Amino acid sequence: MRVEYINPFVEAAFNILKEVLGTEITRGELYLKSSSQPVLGVTAIVGLTGDVEGRVLFDMSKETALAIASAMNGEEMTKLDDLAKATINELANMITAQSVTKLSDLGYKFNITPPAIFTGEKMEVSDVSIEALIVPIEMPLGKLEINVAVKEKD
Amino acid sequence: MKTKTDFPSINERTPEGRKPDGTSYRVLLVDDSMFVKKQIAQILSSEGFEIVGTASDGAEGLEKYKELYPNVDLVTMDITMPKMDGIASLEKIIEFDKNARVIMVSALGKQDLVKKALLIGAKNYIVKPLDRKKVLERVLLVLKKS
Repeated sequence: MRVEYINPFVEAAFNILKEVLGTEITRGELYLKSSSQPVLGVTAIVGLTGDVEGRVLFDMSKETALAIASAMNGEEMTKLDDLAKATINELANMITAQSVTKLSDLGYKFNITPPAIFTGEKMEVSDVSIEALIVPIEMPLGKLEINVAVKEKD
Repeated sequence: MKTKTDFPSINERTPEGRKPDGTSYRVLLVDDSMFVKKQIAQILSSEGFEIVGTASDGAEGLEKYKELYPNVDLVTMDITMPKMDGIASLEKIIEFDKNARVIMVSALGKQDLVKKALLIGAKNYIVKPLDRKKVLERVLLVLKKS
């Protein structure tokens, strides 16, 4: 997978998280995964189709999701209820929308699906024939992993 | 105790959401995200606007607009929604009331759709993530213009 696909997602995640959370953010080491991999507990997935195709996951623990939702709503949230999920959904939506704008400025044309949220313990994701690149993002509220598996359309 | 004369008021400003006659501007929120609806409602209510209705898709938004009309001053309209999207809903609302004041709410990257909405008759637009100052500025611009 070419790294130019991933930079827009990382940049957008940085911009949006900084803006909505108002906290320090640092990037961890990128790493590649090619087989099945565990996901952390609360995962927003966005599908891409067009010149490039694949999917992007925004993956975090339940605690981190609640901390982000609390910060974005300006109130303490202790349960992953509909509002908390709608908040994480909106976060994923804003990050992807900005990434797509950046990618489309680079000349790639494609569409994205609205985000969907998965929650649960011990989940795994498997991508056949696409390797996934993972960018860990460290925040005082916890860790968020951007997990991108996209390729150019054959 | 006559506090008004004893203490100078440091907050003379009237809330932005009031009309010159002192009543509140009435707003209908159309957005499928519970989070965004709540966010806009909080920003506007804190300035004295009255949220007279909310809807979760374009079809419901249109229905609510017709129900509320003429007792509604402004609509905030999301673009991507299930059933009927914000563009189609805007079109129908303008068809019903050509003076409707609709502001589009969009994530970045939907410039083409925003342009289309403005051509159809949306009065302005707000890009997410929502910023309190930006939201109030755009909303007031639309309300004060007419």
